[in-house]
Amino acid sequence: MHLKYESTLREPLVDGVKDYHKVTEDIIGPIEAKPGKLWYVGFFISLSLLAFGVFSVTWEVYYGTGVWNLNKTIGWGWDITNFVWWVGIGHAGTLISAILLLFRQGWRTGVNRAAEAMTIFAVMCAGQFPIFHMGRVWMAFFVLPYPNTRGPLWVNFNSPLLWDVFAISTYFTVSLLFWYSGLIPDFATVRDRAKTKLRKLLYGIASFGWTGSTKHWQRHEALSLVLAGLSTPLVLSVHTIVSFDFATSVIPGWHTTIFPPYFVAGAIFSGFAMVQTLLIITRKILHLEDYITIGHMEAMNKVIVLTGSIVGCAYLTELFMAWYGGVQYEFDTFYKYRAAGPLGWSYWIMMTCNVITPQVFWFRKMRRNVMVTFIMSIIVNIGMWFERFVIICTSLYRDYLPSSWSYYRPSWPEVGFYMGTFGLFFTCYFLFAKYFPVIAVAEIKHVLKTSGESFKDKMQKYETEDADKFAHDVAHAH
Amino acid sequence: MEQKKYWKGLEELHDTKGHQEIVKNEFREELPFDENESLLNATTPRRDFLKYLGFTTAAATIAASCEIPVKKAIPYVNKPEEITPGVPNYYASTYAVDGEFVPVVVKTREGRPIKIEGNTLSSVTGGATTAKVQAAVLSLYDVARLRYPTINGTETTWAELDKQVKAALGALGGQPVVLLTSTILSPSTKKVIGEFLAKYPGSRHVTYDAVSYSGMLLANEAAYGKRVLPSYHFENAKTIVSLGADFLGTWLSPAEFAKQYGATRKINAAKPEMSKHFHFESMMSLTGANADERFTHKPSETGAVALALYNAVNGGAVSGIADKRLADGITKAARALKASQGKALVVSGSNDVNVQLIVNAINNLVGANGTTIDWAVTSNYRQGIDGDMAQLVNDLNAGSIGALFIHGVNPVYDYFDAKRFADGLKKAKLTVSFNDRKDETTELVKYAAPDHHFLESWGDAEGKTGYFSFTQPTIAPLFKTRAFEDSLLSWSGNTTNWVDYLKNEWIAKLGGQEAWDKALQDGVIEPTTAPALAGAAFTGDVAAATAKISSAKKGGKFELVLYEKVAIGNGKLANNPWLQEMPDPITRSTWDNYACVSNTLAKTFNEELGDDYEINADKKVLKIKANGKEIELPLLIVPGIHPEVIAIAVGYGRSLNAGRAAGNIGKNAYPFVSYNGQTFDYFAADAAVEATGATYQIGLTQTHNSYEGRPIIKETTLEEFIKNPKEVNEDRAELSKYGADFRSDATLYPNYPYPGIKWGMSIDLNTCFGCGACVVACTAENNVPVVGKEQVIKAHEMHWLRIDRYFSGDENNPEVVFQPMLCQHCDNAPCENVCPVAATNHSSEGINQMAYNRCIGTRYCANNCPYKVRRFNWRDWNGADSFENNLYDVADMNDNLTRMVLNPDVVVRSRGVMEKCSFCVQRLQDAKLTAKKEGRPVKDGEAKTACQQACAADAIVFGNVNDKDSRIYQVRTQEQQDRLYYVLEETHTLPSINYLAKIRNKDAAPKAEAGHHEAAHHG
Repeated sequence: MHLKYESTLREPLVDGVKDYHKVTEDIIGPIEAKPGKLWYVGFFISLSLLAFGVFSVTWEVYYGTGVWNLNKTIGWGWDITNFVWWVGIGHAGTLISAILLLFRQGWRTGVNRAAEAMTIFAVMCAGQFPIFHMGRVWMAFFVLPYPNTRGPLWVNFNSPLLWDVFAISTYFTVSLLFWYSGLIPDFATVRDRAKTKLRKLLYGIASFGWTGSTKHWQRHEALSLVLAGLSTPLVLSVHTIVSFDFATSVIPGWHTTIFPPYFVAGAIFSGFAMVQTLLIITRKILHLEDYITIGHMEAMNKVIVLTGSIVGCAYLTELFMAWYGGVQYEFDTFYKYRAAGPLGWSYWIMMTCNVITPQVFWFRKMRRNVMVTFIMSIIVNIGMWFERFVIICTSLYRDYLPSSWSYYRPSWPEVGFYMGTFGLFFTCYFLFAKYFPVIAVAEIKHVLKTSGESFKDKMQKYETEDADKFAHDVAHAH
Repeated sequence: MEQKKYWKGLEELHDTKGHQEIVKNEFREELPFDENESLLNATTPRRDFLKYLGFTTAAATIAASCEIPVKKAIPYVNKPEEITPGVPNYYASTYAVDGEFVPVVVKTREGRPIKIEGNTLSSVTGGATTAKVQAAVLSLYDVARLRYPTINGTETTWAELDKQVKAALGALGGQPVVLLTSTILSPSTKKVIGEFLAKYPGSRHVTYDAVSYSGMLLANEAAYGKRVLPSYHFENAKTIVSLGADFLGTWLSPAEFAKQYGATRKINAAKPEMSKHFHFESMMSLTGANADERFTHKPSETGAVALALYNAVNGGAVSGIADKRLADGITKAARALKASQGKALVVSGSNDVNVQLIVNAINNLVGANGTTIDWAVTSNYRQGIDGDMAQLVNDLNAGSIGALFIHGVNPVYDYFDAKRFADGLKKAKLTVSFNDRKDETTELVKYAAPDHHFLESWGDAEGKTGYFSFTQPTIAPLFKTRAFEDSLLSWSGNTTNWVDYLKNEWIAKLGGQEAWDKALQDGVIEPTTAPALAGAAFTGDVAAATAKISSAKKGGKFELVLYEKVAIGNGKLANNPWLQEMPDPITRSTWDNYACVSNTLAKTFNEELGDDYEINADKKVLKIKANGKEIELPLLIVPGIHPEVIAIAVGYGRSLNAGRAAGNIGKNAYPFVSYNGQTFDYFAADAAVEATGATYQIGLTQTHNSYEGRPIIKETTLEEFIKNPKEVNEDRAELSKYGADFRSDATLYPNYPYPGIKWGMSIDLNTCFGCGACVVACTAENNVPVVGKEQVIKAHEMHWLRIDRYFSGDENNPEVVFQPMLCQHCDNAPCENVCPVAATNHSSEGINQMAYNRCIGTRYCANNCPYKVRRFNWRDWNGADSFENNLYDVADMNDNLTRMVLNPDVVVRSRGVMEKCSFCVQRLQDAKLTAKKEGRPVKDGEAKTACQQACAADAIVFGNVNDKDSRIYQVRTQEQQDRLYYVLEETHTLPSINYLAKIRNKDAAPKAEAGHHEAAHHG
């Protein structure tokens, strides 16, 4: 048992009367059963979206980036907006799995598996955009620093876009390892319960011969900590580097030093919102309300209101600096063409969704309301999409020379590409929900006896006990 | 068991020291590898070699999967004597189309003409060109050209055609032959025509100009007894008043006038002075945009304005002008004209004899004759008399014309009463067209005997009396075409062919083959000493003209004015995609004509300048009725047009037979022309306009009109500049806060010194008139693709060089500034450090270079370019793609014929890569190599960019800024320090292009008003 005593005042992390077996049944059970009708419907829709995305991208690659509505002034639009949005969403997973692990936040166990899966799928989606936004995607390998026969020709280490290549690929690799190492004991559980040969074989391979020996558990724990240590700086670095794409440029509206913290906060903000969206659906469909509790949602809503407020501060700081800096171009960008002007509507959508509406989470009642949380999670993600759109497009469309000012509306292949990444994301997520334990079984069992509702009740007698006596009893337990 | 030890030698048995050593080593002996110093230090050591071998195999596998199809080139089996592959040949020639006279030099590569430059030996144009001249080379390769003679539209042979035409001529039964041509400058051609017509008594040659100047010709006849056009000398004028004459864009000889006018607009910092230019017009012309003071009036008031100016110059008061601003303007212009007696010039774009007579009278009063107007050397630029054409149409309809030969004109398209002409045409027994394509007129004639393109022709041209320029073929005829003169010679029974005819003429005149060869080589023959400027005695009847002008009927609520666009002109070159895609200098539109209206008028149709108007390509379609005709055209808001005037460009609405680029674009506005009994009127005094509810998309390359008071444009008035030359650049003082040298002190990074050549460019905003010649020159030189209207609407146009046009001030009387914008070749280029693959980088000579092969198309560089000059290949414009069958070509630019115009020194770019101005690096390399072969440094002026060479007004100076003798060095460090500035200098991009502030010769506005000025800026 965990050498930790948790007060009964604290909300249980697992509701209901559970023992280890019940936990296994609840979580592994759906893997062994046939999926429900809803799963098939959802999976089919996702696959359709994915197919449309593949069609849109093929169209674009074949006929050229000109089928998008980008132009001489606005070189990036929905493509990079979606890229940053997806990368941002990925952040919550890493934050939950790494930073909360290091901070020993027990509540993460209920949500970390799904959040990490979301991270991986989101980064996969994000990666599509910088690849397929290239004019000559078949030359994409030029961004890799490999020895070549072109004389001293090397990649340009000054370019933030190159930093992105390293940042995103590192992030993806570490996240994948972290996620997978956590999955091993659970895969072994599935293997051990398997009643069909194929399942036994496949999960057997996937579980890398896990036997559950103490040595395995010890190494597993150590690996988790090492990976958590590696991931923690990545949570900060990835979006910092993504923000450098803009911050190191000369375009008014991009060229600001506030971007790294602002982007990271925004990423966590949108990431948690996405986790909420997914988990509210998952717990409903897979009947996991006991594991993903209202308490989990409340914790995440607190993070949302905090990061949302940081983001709001950043918006105001930008406006202040645009005025205080006294640079005409920057002032015009922020006050005339971002907060107003033909694309001004996008700025106010962003402000409303990201700064104003999340303030409802100052109220406990709202934080603990599933419906409100669900709606808010959608609103926040809309807001965060618009934040990226605002940063990218409202800076580009009216920059230094008014002769080149332009306007931007997406074309169908651009929208199709975005829808396609939703298809990719949910296809992966549905497969994950069907074939993978969506909650970390081993970890839940880990906290069950300290933080599970039924075990907490047993603590009641200690609560009334005299502290000195309790200490004495523990010390002289033999 | 006994452990036996076998030994192989005594060394092993005794285990000597040496043996122990050997055993320790894996290999018993030194490996026979020659690992000496040189091998290890080789650029590719053995190990690397293996690495590379492995990699290249892998890379080749990847690369092979997207192999670009191999196109084979066939080398010469026997090398022609004069052609060395890779080395261009230049031939002097002449652009003489519709009376425009521009001596040129044609660059050919491997026998293909690829570029036209002005001939600097000509004293008339001094090497100036226009957009039309620059684009003419593309017309040579026009796929819509007629490729063989036809009879009733079916292919025939020249022999058969000759037989039939001769027979038909013989069967005319004494009916006259009429040769209908546009203005012909060639004296020899005229002689051939004369000989041909002499065979048929009663025959005549009718000259018809689609856009006519017969009002001037007749007025000159009335005033000076000579039906000619004089030579204008804008360079001698201190005060220039133009009554609607767009002399920088379309009027008579814009290349020549831009050169002359440019000379008066250059600012000598030591002694600043410049001409003062007043402009009175109804619409917004290119010349009006460059005027110091500009006033608008309705087209029906043109006469009244001329008259008022005449009266004011004559000492009277301005009367009959209701508009106070206009009246004041006339008073002011008159005062200025009088003050610069002998250095004044008034020109008018009107085709009305009476107006032109009054203009002649004014010029006479201000002493222009003999100073700014030369009657000793007259020009032949336009010779058409409208009455002759009207008479011809009457005769045709009366059935009294036997044969009609048509050369270079297209009346079925551009005659105002085209139907009547077409009806008459049918009544002629013999109809022959020499036109180059199956245009609207050629479609209706029986015989088409297509003439060569001028680049395939022999010829001469006398632009002005005594000033000749020659035409020689730069390529063998591409098709089965025949010189117009050859046809006439053959039909008049002359067996001499045209080449010999021309040669005999000139050898006789010049006195020998050698002189003729020299003439061809130089391209021009001019009087050894230019004749002194001469005046002429004015004998015009001003009173009669006044009476006629005064009795002219007053205009209605709205009036319509027709104009020529700088690029498309009268419509003859409408099938030239370069010209179609060249943005109109004023409206910045491409590929269309439209109804230009003021913001005031647009408001009545619920359209006005602003964000909505800017971001939507859809423009409201108006129905315009005048002279009993009506057309529907989209409205386009043009600040500066008179609020009650609608302006429409002619030259559009061609039939599809004219070519894919010209066909079905815009509407034909010629039907609005009217005949006043003497001349054609290019306006309608009473027009009605109504909304239709429809919309139509227009491809604009620039949608925002104001520079928002940003310091990217700097301008001041002459008066202010004389008072305090430093003032225009006051804000540059801010930069000194970073230290003595902004370049090195405002950065943490080390400064690259550029020890060798450092290329730089200076652009004078005072002499850039926005004509667009440089844009087309750049397109031609650098194989810049044509994208078509749909892609222009998507802002995908590819021009490496654009001319930004900004309006400021009052929306109905704005000031205009033009700013050529191209890659600034920043020494601290924002594009360079963001490219992930280092595809764009900096040369040691300060050029921002593009490695197209390396570019993967992230467009990050274009985003980060503050000047937005980078152009991305959004589609496969030129078939250089890895994918088949997705060529995007709306104008036949990739036909094997058209592709002959490509400059072989510049690669075509594949889809998905970024491109931009290269400072014409191929020309710079050429100059450097030539200098290197001769063992000397590059001299100033040897390396010229295409834009610089095309500029009529020499607004662009380019060269090595490290060369203290170079023009660019002089301009930057000595001559123009006060006006010199860099665009967005404060961002520390360190551009290699500087601009010289614009100076307007107008009354300095009081400071407070200047502030208000900015506030009144319109989107």
